[in-house]
Amino acid sequence: MSRVYTIVKGHVKTWFRSKSTIFWTLAFPILLIVLFGAIFGTGNTRFDLYVQNQDLTANAPTPSSQGYVAALNHTGAFNIQTVPAEMSNPVSYVRDDAQLHNRGQRLLVIPVGFQNNLTNRKPADIQLYMDQSDQASPSLAGVITAVTSSYAASLSNSTVSLSVQQVPIVTHNTRYIDFFIPGVIGMTLLTSGVFGAVNTNGRYRELKIIKKLATTPLSKIEWILGMVGYQMFLAAISITVILLFGRFVFGVTATIDIYTIGLVVAAALLFPGIGMVLANFVKDADGAEAAANAITFPMMFLAGTFWPTETMPTVLKVIANYLPLTYINNGLRDAMIYLEPAQALTNTIIALGLAGFFIILGSVLMSWKEE
Amino acid sequence: MNNLSKKYGDTVAVNGISFGLSKGEVFAFLGPNGAGKTTTVEILECLRAPTGGQAKVLDYDVSKRSDQSEIRKRIGVLPQDFNAIDRLTVRENIDYFGAMYDHQLDSDQLIELVDLKDKRDEQFKTLSGGLKQRVGLAVALVNDPALVFLDEPTTGLDPRARRDVWYVIERLKKQGKTVFLTTHYMDEAEYLADTVSIIDHGQIIASGTPNELIDAHGGKKTLVIREAGEDGLKFLPPGISRPQLKNEDDIYIPLNNGELTTILIAIGQTPLANKEIEVRRPTLDDVFLNLTGRRVSEEGE
Ligand SMILES: Nc1ncnc2c1ncn2[C@@H]1O[C@H](COP(=O)(O)OP(=O)(O)O)[C@@H](O)[C@H]1O
Ligand SMILES: [Mg+2]
Repeated sequence: MSRVYTIVKGHVKTWFRSKSTIFWTLAFPILLIVLFGAIFGTGNTRFDLYVQNQDLTANAPTPSSQGYVAALNHTGAFNIQTVPAEMSNPVSYVRDDAQLHNRGQRLLVIPVGFQNNLTNRKPADIQLYMDQSDQASPSLAGVITAVTSSYAASLSNSTVSLSVQQVPIVTHNTRYIDFFIPGVIGMTLLTSGVFGAVNTNGRYRELKIIKKLATTPLSKIEWILGMVGYQMFLAAISITVILLFGRFVFGVTATIDIYTIGLVVAAALLFPGIGMVLANFVKDADGAEAAANAITFPMMFLAGTFWPTETMPTVLKVIANYLPLTYINNGLRDAMIYLEPAQALTNTIIALGLAGFFIILGSVLMSWKEE
Repeated sequence: MNNLSKKYGDTVAVNGISFGLSKGEVFAFLGPNGAGKTTTVEILECLRAPTGGQAKVLDYDVSKRSDQSEIRKRIGVLPQDFNAIDRLTVRENIDYFGAMYDHQLDSDQLIELVDLKDKRDEQFKTLSGGLKQRVGLAVALVNDPALVFLDEPTTGLDPRARRDVWYVIERLKKQGKTVFLTTHYMDEAEYLADTVSIIDHGQIIASGTPNELIDAHGGKKTLVIREAGEDGLKFLPPGISRPQLKNEDDIYIPLNNGELTTILIAIGQTPLANKEIEVRRPTLDDVFLNLTGRRVSEEGE
């Protein structure tokens, strides 16, 4: 165990003394966050309102429902987005669309039969889906109730009963930056894992350090454990820095739970495993580094680091399913931002499986002694 | 070590060699590039498996798994072209490799041994080639090994740095360590070694002390008269073996028994008597030349 500790300490010192590796593991991710944060903005989510008008006659909104939407619009308080009437699950549509455009997740549904009920003097209900923890919710609900009663009063028949029915939903009001932060973490784990392994296995072999170690009582397993331990350390440091930065500069609140930890452990095994496989197929260190570049960069872009994979063309979506980083990215988002434990669990299990496969393959392929 | 061999596919790198080392000696394995030195050494270090024969290191069998771990504890190794970890200091590197063993020597003591006191806290990458090699030596000694393998420890170093490495090896010898040295420098083997084995094309072609090898295979002594010029040739007595002019105007005369006095008396009264005159013993270079018909340096790095 003390041998493993010595190896971890050696890697950590080397990392700490090299300005370029510090840049790539800490400064570069921060730089990306600032850059993408600036480009996509952090959004003002206060007055966004999605409206789905289900009350149609002959494929067009009924006059009454249209009049009601116009009344809402007239207040100038809302930034109204229309949800197509045929959308069967408007709540989830709103969640996806709101995040992509940095909007608040609030949905008003005008149900089928709205006009009919009004003309027949039956009570008509409008559903307002919103998160009770949404800071804007009391004032928004107030404005909507006020608009609704004045609209009802303005109708010729003053005995009409029109009420707003509030449906609580849980939203995370995620913005682009909330989506991006877990992606940056995934990307950092990918690059430091793959390049770290290529360096410690390819470069150290070239320098005869591995040969020298193989003449000592150190075993191959201890050497690999040392490298993985170092990756865990790096992961902990860069995640801490990225999350603190996201928190204090962009107000991103991320949850660290058992899945987050599982995914980070998986990444600290998976990516060095891939790097070791590369370092053993491409024997010279420079070649292995080129191969590492060729693998990490496309993976970074296709695995949903910078934009959701759902927005990519079908072919690329299929490719994304085969990229290990996809499961790390998705899992981290489910765990840290969306709070979807079931999905986080699935992704964590897949990631751990891939991690086991690659680290074992890399370890078996790695020749500790000479042929 | 008995009848050891190693094949890589069809290439026979080491072809049935046998030799033994005595405790406390410096043994030099001398041969040109590609002769099979590294292959042999790495078999003894349990890094490669032999394809034939047996080898024992400190009475442990290199082919037995349980013996291998005993060997590893007791040997010290400086691989060919070894580099320590770039961004660790001299001292940190020594402690790093030392931590791989159950017991390690005091790093200050090792730093003193290789004379790196004032570089102790410098990072390895900032050191010159000669100093780097001295760090490698310290690292090879960190477990206080009974047997030290040094694979071409001075290749690529300038003459000054080579001397410094030699000096460290001499100190090891004084401490009673057994040293297995490989080299393609004849002068290095001659200067440092108690016993030399010359290896060529995977086979040992001669073994013995440097003196024994020179006596047996070195050939004749040579009389050198410096800056005598072509004119000098006419002052030489007739009937002596073929004098040669080398380096423009140095005269080289291979000496048969008894010829030395004849020549010296003959030239005593001529201008040659005022020149620098030297009798040269053959060197291991000549031994190699006589045994193989080639010079080692011709195929050196
Ligand atoms: N891993 C290897 N695979 C194939 N051939 C090798 C390998 N290592 C060494 N050789 C060959 O074996 C021969 C002896 O090499 P080596 O032991 O390195 O010689 P030396 O150390 O004396 O220069 C050379 O012809 C070399 O090309
Ligand atoms: Mg060699």
